[in-house]
Amino acid sequence: MRAPDVVEAHPDVNSDSDAVGAGLDALDTPTAERTPLPRRLLALGLPPLVAFALFLTVWQVVWASAVYPEFKLPAPIAVWEEFVAIVADGSIWGIAWTSVHRAVLGFAASVVIATPLGLVVAKVPVVRAAIGPLLAGMQSLPSVAWVPAAVLWFGLTDTTIYFVVLLGAVPSIANGLVSGIDQVPPILPRVGQVMGANRFDSARLILLPAALPGYLAGTKQGWAFSWRSLMAAEIIATSPQLGIGLGAYLKQGSDFNSMPGVIAAIFLILLVGVGIELLAFRPLERRVLRARGLAAT
Amino acid sequence: MTAVIDTAATNTPATNTPATDTDVIDRRPISTRTAVELRGVGKVFGRGADGVTALTGVDLRVEPGEFVVLLGASGCGKTTLLNLVAGLDRPGAGTVTVHSGRPAVMFQEPALLPWLDAGRNVELPLRLSGMGRAARRERAGELLDLVRLGGQARKRPHELSGGMRQRVALARAIAATSSGAGSDSGGGLLLMDEPFAALDAITRDFLQGELQRIWRTTGTAVLFVTHDVREAVRLGQRVVLLSSRPGTVVREWDVADDTDRAQLTDEITARLREVISTHARA
Repeated sequence: MRAPDVVEAHPDVNSDSDAVGAGLDALDTPTAERTPLPRRLLALGLPPLVAFALFLTVWQVVWASAVYPEFKLPAPIAVWEEFVAIVADGSIWGIAWTSVHRAVLGFAASVVIATPLGLVVAKVPVVRAAIGPLLAGMQSLPSVAWVPAAVLWFGLTDTTIYFVVLLGAVPSIANGLVSGIDQVPPILPRVGQVMGANRFDSARLILLPAALPGYLAGTKQGWAFSWRSLMAAEIIATSPQLGIGLGAYLKQGSDFNSMPGVIAAIFLILLVGVGIELLAFRPLERRVLRARGLAAT
Repeated sequence: MTAVIDTAATNTPATNTPATDTDVIDRRPISTRTAVELRGVGKVFGRGADGVTALTGVDLRVEPGEFVVLLGASGCGKTTLLNLVAGLDRPGAGTVTVHSGRPAVMFQEPALLPWLDAGRNVELPLRLSGMGRAARRERAGELLDLVRLGGQARKRPHELSGGMRQRVALARAIAATSSGAGSDSGGGLLLMDEPFAALDAITRDFLQGELQRIWRTTGTAVLFVTHDVREAVRLGQRVVLLSSRPGTVVREWDVADDTDRAQLTDEITARLREVISTHARA
């Protein structure tokens, strides 16, 4: 068995292997194709608009057929008029602000609490064994279940509302961080280790950035959980000193038997929740994933 | 700088090496003519009857600037050996003495941090050793030029081909050998664990040439692990054949410039096949 001759790289063939290298690089480099912005916007924006238009059409047809009485199913235009009314008298801003600032504050506090909690659960085996299953289980406990207890402990105060929001959001953010850390390829911490990184540098420069996608997914879910926990708390715990947020506004519509008011409130709750996810979380997540070559476009 | 990994055999029982060897702490005057020295190194994973002896009685010296290739089939403990030299693991017996500062390690996969661009990946070891921002950026630029990736510093790993990523990893490893304490004791030590095994044949051939060129330029000592005889003979100044389960040194060959490499490849291949065949009977 004779081995075929191998190409020897000597300084005198340097320019040759320079050319070979450049050729290989040009051939092997992944090419990324980007669709132009107007087309991407069209592809992204058109389908949901069509879906929404279809939904409105079906609603209008069902209403026009008069199968359900008016007080159960109002016309789309009646809901629209209710919405226009609260925009016109300016009360919508107060209502939305009450809820949004509670949700944002509660979410921010949840991030501050859940991040170190998730780190400790992920990296300290005893702590993981002790509270890991509980933390995962907390996610399946609807946070509305905490409202009665919170009302008894704290009364009809802001504390009740924040308590419920925290218990809704903290577990999902912490769990997101834990699974983000669990999914870090083991080779990356080894890279830090062979370069002599100490524990702190390793966490700061390698582990946390590597876990960022899972952590972001967790915070996105944490936002959704804090928003829905807040609505649950606002619907159940209503009192004059709590002011009127979106949940209380929904409750009010129900109390006054105003179906247009109820539906307008539901749409508003959906709008704010989806809007914040689309405006804040989606771009952030896309940026992080695209930088790592993980996003589709 | 000198790091002696002392191995009073406290944590690993049952090795084939006599116990007297393992209790000695190496305090002899250290020759400056060695980058790394292994004496009677053994390593057992697990305990008692279930224990697997990965290495036994391994003696190996790598001189500064020398290119040594460790060759062996699966299960010869090549990776265990590199882990011991890299300080990722401790030997159960014998001593591992590293005279060249912290060795840099290059793996089979590039293991680049996907959220950092090529330049910042190369900067990482410099950053960990406390080099200033401007200095390390300049140094990373030089090293990327060295691996012919000048101008690609702002590219992310996923925008590069497999061969380009492995060259970024090479630049990062060289940055690690030259950063910090290693630089004053002559070139440092680069440990390579089958770094080209996952690449296509054309790219592998090109990178073998590149590694030779870069090794000549930087003068760093290289301990290179492979299971490919041709790669071993092409790259190494010395080829060390390891047996499998347990891994120990079978034979060494020197490769000079005027050596008939094709013939040597055949000779080593024959010997390697012999070593592997013994396992069929066992």
